[in-house]
Amino acid sequence: MVHVLGVNLPDRQLARFALTHFYGIGPKVSHRLCARLQIHDKCRIRDLTANQITSLTAFLSSPSTAPPVPRFPLASPDFLPPPPSTPVQQLKAPEIPKDVKAKPSGRHNGNRFHADPLQGLKIETDLRREVRENIAHQRMIGSYVGKRHAMGLPVRGQNTQTNASTARKLNRIERYA
Amino acid sequence: MRPTLAVLSGRSAWKGPYFVAFPNLREALQNNVPIKTQARSCTILPNFVGLRFMVYNGKDYLPVQVTQDMVGHKLGEFSHTKKKFTYKMSKNK
Repeated sequence: MVHVLGVNLPDRQLARFALTHFYGIGPKVSHRLCARLQIHDKCRIRDLTANQITSLTAFLSSPSTAPPVPRFPLASPDFLPPPPSTPVQQLKAPEIPKDVKAKPSGRHNGNRFHADPLQGLKIETDLRREVRENIAHQRMIGSYVGKRHAMGLPVRGQNTQTNASTARKLNRIERYA
Repeated sequence: MRPTLAVLSGRSAWKGPYFVAFPNLREALQNNVPIKTQARSCTILPNFVGLRFMVYNGKDYLPVQVTQDMVGHKLGEFSHTKKKFTYKMSKNK
């Protein structure tokens, strides 16, 4: 068992599945997280190094202030690979020309499409609080959604003659799950 | 993991929010007269704040006072169409 931020990650599980034990991390986010921390697909929790666990904890405790991902430049079209006999010590990453800036082109300007998808990640308590605040907001302005929450009924037009058990269980003003 | 267009709730961005142009908007704001409307699907725009509406729910026109928090919602969300069943004792049995 590895404890990360109060969540038990089972030793035997693959890391990418174990990470979904966090509230707010599903398979997709888990996959991205593994890619960022350089955890391979078949890695199990017991195989994680102490360093990886530390960086995982550091990232999940505050995703918004985590250091940005380093970007490595791609090879230009006229790149010639060095001959295979070159010793490893002499290999260098191609240098980035500093005067060239990425030109904003059309609608895709700005960083919207290149923004770090894990930047605004919210897990556990933060996410629960956000959900609660959203419901409280709906309730406060007196909308239909807020009213249905207060009544403990489905919000999005589902049937209520039978079933609706999930709504009865979860839909409250003060939602606990 | 592209951020959704929460403001438009899935509507194409080039269309902008759906709204109905109320011709009597300015005088309604000055005289504090409620605007009577059946346009329940009209998005509440920032310049509606402070206005009063009478929004149709299929039977009556219900008063809706627009506040800052309601911006981005629809008018119909605040005019409930269903009412909870309450048993009323009938006189003649």
